Amino acid sequence: MAPQTFFELKNAVVGIAGLGGLGSNVGVALTRLKVGKLILVDFDVIEESNLTRQNYFADQVGQHKVDASLENFRRIDPEANLKGHKTRLTPEKIVEVFKDCHVIAECFDRADQKKMIVETVLTKMKDVVVVSVSGLAGYGRSNEIVTRRISDRLVLVGDTVSGTGPGVPLTAPRVGIAAYHQANAIAELLLNELHIKLARNSK
Amino acid sequence: MSAVLKINGAEKTFDDGLPSNLSELLTILKIDTATVVAEIDGKIIERKDFAQTSLNEAQAIELIRFVGGG
Repeated sequence: MAPQTFFELKNAVVGIAGLGGLGSNVGVALTRLKVGKLILVDFDVIEESNLTRQNYFADQVGQHKVDASLENFRRIDPEANLKGHKTRLTPEKIVEVFKDCHVIAECFDRADQKKMIVETVLTKMKDVVVVSVSGLAGYGRSNEIVTRRISDRLVLVGDTVSGTGPGVPLTAPRVGIAAYHQANAIAELLLNELHIKLARNSK
Repeated sequence: MSAVLKINGAEKTFDDGLPSNLSELLTILKIDTATVVAEIDGKIIERKDFAQTSLNEAQAIELIRFVGGG
């Protein structure tokens, strides 16, 4: 029997800005959902320390995160429509590489970079929704990580206060919870709000 | 004269009167302008415009603060 998929998602285009603990895991979930197209962006290579929470494997250390994610997601679904960009995102680049996206997942690490992409999407891109994360460091307190709709085009995941710092590491379970909140918010947006637009595009 | 602003849905009283602009408000609240997205009445205010954006008591101000990690 063919695996059950959401027909509406096949026309969706989702951008993933950053392929660290959030992006590498969000991509797995969206690949399994069979979202039509994913645009993956990161400039970095995998370090051994990333393996504590990011969806990479020991034999991928040293590879570009974009290349390793393309490989990993295609192992889940060889038919997945994926596009990778090895580049550092600036406001100009964000508008350019994500121009066809319905939703963008903000998966950066640094607070100022998170602010930069959210501000750019909300001021420079029409109709695109951004799903961002703030506050996921440490362990425990699973239920303090929440998904909140800030406005029509901004969804914010996290506990809003737990930043990384001395003694507050990023851990696989808590980063994973936030990443899957993010992927679930994207699925909800695409299926509940953007399905009419997606259906129209298919004609 | 004290003034009241509605920030993130809660009322905040300023004993010395309204901050003259958004930039001054963020300074008073000790919020780093590099890590906050500001929205007034549903409109995003870009960082470069913070100092030119005046405030009044009727506005709904949203300050979305980002902390590191991802």
